Amino acid sequence: MKRGREQKLFILTFLGPPLALYAVFVLLPAFNAFRYSLTRWDGLSAPVWIGLSNFHKILTSGSTFLKAIEHNLFLTFVPGLIILPLALFFAYNIHQRVFGARLFRITFFFPNVISSVAIALLWILIYSTTNVGLLNNLLKMFGYRHPYAFTASDHLLWAIVPMIVWTATGFYMVLFLASMENIPETFYEAARLDGATPSHQFWHITLPLMWDVLTTGVVFLVVGGLKFFDAIWVMENGHPTPDTHTMATLMYSEVFQEYNVGYGTAVSVMLFLFVLAATLISLRLMRRERLEY
Amino acid sequence: MAAPFSKLTKGLKIAFLTAYLVTVVFPMIWVLYTSAKNTQEIYRSPFGLPKFITSPSRRHIKSLITNYRKAWVDSHFGRYFFNSIYVVGVSLALILLLGCMAAYVLARFEFWGRNAIYLLFLCGLLIPMQLVLIPLFFQFTDMGNWLTNLFAPPVRALGLGELTISLQNSHAGLILIYVSASLPFTVFVLTAFFRTLPGELREAAMLDGASEYRTFFSIMMPLGKPGIVTTAIFNFLGLWNEYLFALVFLTSDRLKTLPLGIASLSMQAQYRSDFGLLFAGLVISMLPVLLVYIVLQEKLTKGITIGALKG
Repeated sequence: MKRGREQKLFILTFLGPPLALYAVFVLLPAFNAFRYSLTRWDGLSAPVWIGLSNFHKILTSGSTFLKAIEHNLFLTFVPGLIILPLALFFAYNIHQRVFGARLFRITFFFPNVISSVAIALLWILIYSTTNVGLLNNLLKMFGYRHPYAFTASDHLLWAIVPMIVWTATGFYMVLFLASMENIPETFYEAARLDGATPSHQFWHITLPLMWDVLTTGVVFLVVGGLKFFDAIWVMENGHPTPDTHTMATLMYSEVFQEYNVGYGTAVSVMLFLFVLAATLISLRLMRRERLEY
Repeated sequence: MAAPFSKLTKGLKIAFLTAYLVTVVFPMIWVLYTSAKNTQEIYRSPFGLPKFITSPSRRHIKSLITNYRKAWVDSHFGRYFFNSIYVVGVSLALILLLGCMAAYVLARFEFWGRNAIYLLFLCGLLIPMQLVLIPLFFQFTDMGNWLTNLFAPPVRALGLGELTISLQNSHAGLILIYVSASLPFTVFVLTAFFRTLPGELREAAMLDGASEYRTFFSIMMPLGKPGIVTTAIFNFLGLWNEYLFALVFLTSDRLKTLPLGIASLSMQAQYRSDFGLLFAGLVISMLPVLLVYIVLQEKLTKGITIGALKG
């Protein structure tokens, strides 16, 4: 009897504090975001209920938001199409114990531990039009006389693509490598006995058995692309233009620079819906096509 | 027949891997050695090795020391560094403690509403923190006012002066957010982990008369170490490099964390071209995590992939 009551108290004291923190600082504000998004509010005076007007404005053709979501998709798929094959190629070769595999594995991952802000500054220096700029110095060696403004607003997004590839490839490589190492060696032995070539083995054993991890990788790419903020913010000095806004930077500048709290929150709600959709679709895909082994 | 051809592809592969290695590593090495040059030297030969290496002399070592002194002292990187250590350290300790507590109960006890609470935590994995940011900003103002109204009168009555509590622009506020936001993932991974631990140990301890609390702290927590290390690494990297929430919630310079410091350095870089300082600041923010990674790399990559695959 006493034991039961002690246990109840224990559960309460252990589960209570984390649950309360999570409810007050994550669930409650997440819920409030939906309320805010239905108002017009400058953050000081009383909010005015305006129904779905913010969303109407967001989805009007030619709005900054629609351009922003385009930029998010650009920053997801253009680097993604380079990253995934590259990471697979690296992971495969490292898995095959290519000469120097350990060194490659360790160094390719380097950029992932550095903060995204420091990476943005590093690439500002690489792209710099001053004497310091690594790439403009290279161009000079090839005879270009005038430095090229890589990070100008109208093509900043292209300049960010190599930065994302440089940063993220190591992460996906490590992810894929872990999954390749989980595939039992007996599968390959059996295939070899049947005369399968290495490329056969890769396409018919390795890749299909990695399906789950590949899907996870795509989800990470999409979610990361949808939330993209740091590098744009730093490279644009806190003032992105409609040419460079992503959903997250648009949200920030609408709320904290223009004081359109309702509109900015509506942007964040859209961001949430996109992240949710991407995650649910991928979970669905994983369940349907999962290969058991 | 196939041998020379496969040798060629093998060579090409290694050449390509090496080229990529250079692309990844060279910018970092460039930052590292350039941080030892003064700005004139950087302008004159942006890629040349610093004189400090080519012709070591007291004068050239001085430009290295000047850069780092400027970054560490004048540009407050020393302060940002310790602010980051403080915020991330306290957050991590709380995350791991609270995360273990919740996960242990969810994994090891049967009670009404357990699955609902577990699912509620899982929902957090789907909520991007951008959604929470704006309402939280205003909620912090309200909560600060509320706490001030609650505690200021008794403090005043005791003659201890005027008390104002603010969650905005304070480390405590940021820590609260970091802890709460990291809980869903931490609880998720640790619950899975605690489920794999043998239940007999708990029963044996209880039979010996240990209380539930004692059993948890002296038996289950130590057994959970591998899971705790994984989540610690994963959360550490995320928080150490976190920018958006720090940007919104820390406004005074004395509170800023490292990512904010680097960001303000890069904004200055636009009109004040003290490149020596800039490179030194970059090294201060990059090198410590890189060193930690090199030492712990086996554990760290494992932690990140486990974390990522579960998340």
